Amino acid sequence: MSQNKKILIVDDDPDFAAAIQKILTSNNYDVDVAGNVEEGMRAIEEKRPDLILLDVIMEKYDDGFNMCYDLKHDDRYRAIPVIIITAVTEVTGLKFDPKTDGEYLEAEEYVQKPISAEVLLNKVARLI
Amino acid sequence: MLLGKAHILIIDDEEVIRDSCTQALKKEGYIVKCAENGDSGLRLFKEFHPDIVLIDLKMPGKSGMEVLEEIESTDPNVVKVVITGFASVSSAVNAMKKGAYDFIPKPFTPDEIRLIVARGLERRRLLLETEALRTEQERIRRNMISLVSHELRAPLAATVQYMEVILSGYAGKISSEANDMIDRCNARLKEMLELLSRWLSLATFDPSKMAENFQDVRLSEVAEKSIGLLRSLAEEKKISLSLEAPEDLPPIKGSRMPLEEIFNNLISNAIKYNKEGGWAKVKLFERDQEVWIEISDNGSGIPEEHLPRIFDEFYRVDGRRNAPIKGSGLGLSITKKMVDAHGGMIEVESRVGEGTTFRIGFPKVLSPGRKLSSE
Repeated sequence: MSQNKKILIVDDDPDFAAAIQKILTSNNYDVDVAGNVEEGMRAIEEKRPDLILLDVIMEKYDDGFNMCYDLKHDDRYRAIPVIIITAVTEVTGLKFDPKTDGEYLEAEEYVQKPISAEVLLNKVARLI
Repeated sequence: MLLGKAHILIIDDEEVIRDSCTQALKKEGYIVKCAENGDSGLRLFKEFHPDIVLIDLKMPGKSGMEVLEEIESTDPNVVKVVITGFASVSSAVNAMKKGAYDFIPKPFTPDEIRLIVARGLERRRLLLETEALRTEQERIRRNMISLVSHELRAPLAATVQYMEVILSGYAGKISSEANDMIDRCNARLKEMLELLSRWLSLATFDPSKMAENFQDVRLSEVAEKSIGLLRSLAEEKKISLSLEAPEDLPPIKGSRMPLEEIFNNLISNAIKYNKEGGWAKVKLFERDQEVWIEISDNGSGIPEEHLPRIFDEFYRVDGRRNAPIKGSGLGLSITKKMVDAHGGMIEVESRVGEGTTFRIGFPKVLSPGRKLSSE
């Protein structure tokens, strides 16, 4: 039986997800990857990850924000820490729905792609 | 709406006018509705969605001018024509200033009203076309932005992320030569990512949207944050960084992120275009009705002939491809845009070999308890 902490990556870019997965598995995390919100929700229900790394722009431009909002307003999942990880920088000025906008975002962390292995590992370790 | 038969709303307290207009206009195939006072006219306006509204200026109750203003603020693309008493030109002029497109003096013939309405509908058609064009332009702009932010950034991000995996050794050992090359690839791609995000922040910048979220901002806090961020860059080049700000500096109305961007751009320039052992000073002060930021350095300075163009997009003083100091040529144009959006002004003074000083003035926020002078 594995004692490793479980991390779920929800990202529609398989290359980016694979790179992040490599960094995490090399540091003894068990990692699953979901390519969209639906797969992500299913994986959360089945695997109960200890942490979620969540992309923003997937099929829709605010998929990640909406998924984060749903998770943080669901008693079953609220406690799972979420790191939003996106290539959309804060300065792009893309307008998201106010209820899911950055200001209202209840994710534990918000980081930009690409991310250095060291920074990523620190953030993950701090949250789980 | 204009796609079918034109909708015309008449608001007039005189039954004779309402009836004669209705008769004249129905003959042209328009759909006409009438209201006998301002309030019922405005109610009808919301349900009927007229293309043109004919408004009598002189009515009991709500005045025609008020009705006009309310319609103008609800939908400026609806054409408004005012009906005025004989020879009251001044009120007609007044109405035009408040958004009326035309006026018709009483009494008028059926032909006259038909002519004015036909002209008004032509105007309406133009207004709607312009509106459609603007929407289309906005859509194209948004698509461009999402293309750049996602379609261009995402592959770069994935590539850099793989390199990060390799450079961190998670993909096994590679030769030190290969390592150096990947390191260079990494650096070049990161420059490109940086350029993209700067360009994006310029392309998506909308001053009116930003102004909606203005709040009181203390510039000294913003300056401190920015200096903290750039401290390591300064230490690398052995540049001394200092901040001088009075404790009681009044706040300005603004938005934090763009203000940080202003400090970041100017302070990092003061560091980058400087020699080892140089200095960069940030000074905040109050003068008359403004709060001023002064960012100066004793760096290389900007040759006079370049000064008029330094705020242009993509303009670089050292435009060579292999210029020793990397830059996108966007920093100062972003800075200028942000300053403008805050209702501020920016000026620059520079001497080659001696250094550069940027000064930015913002209107200050007057607290209610604070007297203007006489203290």
